[in-house]
Amino acid sequence: MIENFKINLKEIDKINLINQDDKNYRIKNLEFFNQKGLPTKKDEDWKFSDLREIFSKNFKKIDVNNSKPEENKFRLIKDFDHNYILLINGRFIRSDFKFEDKNKIKITSYKEENFSREQSNNSLICLNNALSNEGYNLLIEKDYKFEKVLVIYNLFSEDLSHKILNNKNKITVNKNSELHIIEYTVNRSKDKFFNNTYETIILGENAKFKNISIQAGRSEGYFHKFLNGSIKSDSKYSSFIFSSGLKFNKQDIKIDLEGKNSYCEIKSALFLNNEDHQEIKTLVNHLVPNCKSFQKIKSVLDSNAKGVYQGKIFVKDIAQKTDAYQLSKALLISENSEFDSKPELEIYADDVKCSHGSTSGNVDENSIHYLMTRGLTKKEATQLLINGFLKEIINDIKSDTIKKFVENKLEFQVYGY
Amino acid sequence: MLEIINLKASINKRDILNGLNLKINPGEVHAIMGPNGSGKSTLANILSGKNGYKITGDLKYKGESLKDIPVEQRAQKGIFLAFQYPLEIPGVNTNNFLKTSLNTIRKARGEKEIDTLAFLKLVKEKANELGIDEKILSRQLNVGFSGGEKKKNEILQMKILDPNLIILDETDSGLDIDALKTIADGVNSSRSKDKSFLVITHYQRLLDYIKPDFVHVLSSGKIIKSGSSELAVELEKKGYKKIN
Repeated sequence: MIENFKINLKEIDKINLINQDDKNYRIKNLEFFNQKGLPTKKDEDWKFSDLREIFSKNFKKIDVNNSKPEENKFRLIKDFDHNYILLINGRFIRSDFKFEDKNKIKITSYKEENFSREQSNNSLICLNNALSNEGYNLLIEKDYKFEKVLVIYNLFSEDLSHKILNNKNKITVNKNSELHIIEYTVNRSKDKFFNNTYETIILGENAKFKNISIQAGRSEGYFHKFLNGSIKSDSKYSSFIFSSGLKFNKQDIKIDLEGKNSYCEIKSALFLNNEDHQEIKTLVNHLVPNCKSFQKIKSVLDSNAKGVYQGKIFVKDIAQKTDAYQLSKALLISENSEFDSKPELEIYADDVKCSHGSTSGNVDENSIHYLMTRGLTKKEATQLLINGFLKEIINDIKSDTIKKFVENKLEFQVYGY
Repeated sequence: MLEIINLKASINKRDILNGLNLKINPGEVHAIMGPNGSGKSTLANILSGKNGYKITGDLKYKGESLKDIPVEQRAQKGIFLAFQYPLEIPGVNTNNFLKTSLNTIRKARGEKEIDTLAFLKLVKEKANELGIDEKILSRQLNVGFSGGEKKKNEILQMKILDPNLIILDETDSGLDIDALKTIADGVNSSRSKDKSFLVITHYQRLLDYIKPDFVHVLSSGKIIKSGSSELAVELEKKGYKKIN
């Protein structure tokens, strides 16, 4: 059992190419983690996802992953033209920007200096700060719009049984530039592992960034990602989360709307089954006037699955004319499934429009009956309704080929049970 | 085609049908009229196989008892209910749904699945007959449809699925006179010797357009009077109360 999960400070010595300063910073973070341990429900931010309990139930041991992955064959998506970045176990392997002007794109593997050193109270961020040594840094120069989508293949290899992987990524989209990425997770590990990611996203003025995260299939992986977004004026951040099929996944998203007329949207359609446990936690900070944010989270829960949405909107006193919206809808198919929702508003300005809502319920029996009178079995009718419930989010994807791709993945998740 | 024998039904210990008998032969059109609460919609629901009712007596379709036949199999065997309030199904494309439904029923009949091209041709033809704007068929099923569009969509489904026993549950409610005529035309053009209709309605109006062979008056869960189409005219004049 790993109830008192601690990591030996010697692990830091195994990280190459760091100076004494870096080392001290890492030691400080690891000491903090070892003292605080994995988060529990006593932490407000982990109220519905007691990670310590989840780990003590599911992991007998965990070791830090030190092995260097070897590149092995993987299949590129054939459905649409795309650029790509290949990551294996979080490590940047290579990239291909064949559809783009390469002078406008800088990509390097993880570098220490790319990340600021704020002290965090979040023990998983501290763990990440202490042990991260893989990841990528992507920068798009100003005034450049990507021709094609960029797929980030996030591959996990077969030999990750009971390992912890920490990595850090950073994406910068400079002024007037546009980037659309698909984060595509492919997992080959048949056994459990834990991936702890810290990601920074910076959008310059009038930049546009769109992200779709999706899985190739079901997986035994446990995932935690902290996303730190900083959005400048007139820029637009858009994130679609379709990360069904993971044992555990928590996406902890913090977006700072720092420039006027900036916009942030987070949309999600999740189908959770078996013992899946997923949480989307958001904090959208409206820090200046005239910004807009939109969040819509739709979840379908079957078997013993558990879904959580903790969404907070913060509006600073000067952030007048804020327009913020959040809605969570959950469809519970099984009596044993659970959905917890905690919407929060913290508003210090007086001329704002903020709304939030949360509903959860069962599949409508009358709708099922209607579909069955047209010859569909109960199972087929239920699947059609689930699909329809989630499709509302997918329909917001503009590219038809990508929409089709996501639809196929979703149908596989919905019809595959 | 359909034989209802001493049907009694209750829901939550409330008796709704109290010994209903009815026989519909192939090719016949029967109308059931009755005041609110007489059990008309319950009868439609029970024929479709909706659960939640406690039932005694028997329902026979083509000589076979329907008692243990689940909803979808009734549909597959050729029973079709046009809903009084067709449900809105968000996220489900109308055309895709129609195709799925048709193929399920064709499969049950031992026929080959219809290919997309043949299906689109069929839908186009039937939609045109009913004056349905094809655009709505690429929208979500019944979502944002007007009352008339929803009812026409029910008749479209009837035409595409080609059932043998068709139950129209207050299909006339909420329709303007033009839509009513279109729907009646749609039904009349489907009449044949191997199809039977059970038309449930409040008003005689619909029966001016769909001429029934028999009219039955349902009151307190029983058929209290049966007759020819003149009975509907009499009802319209006298009201339900004076019929007993």
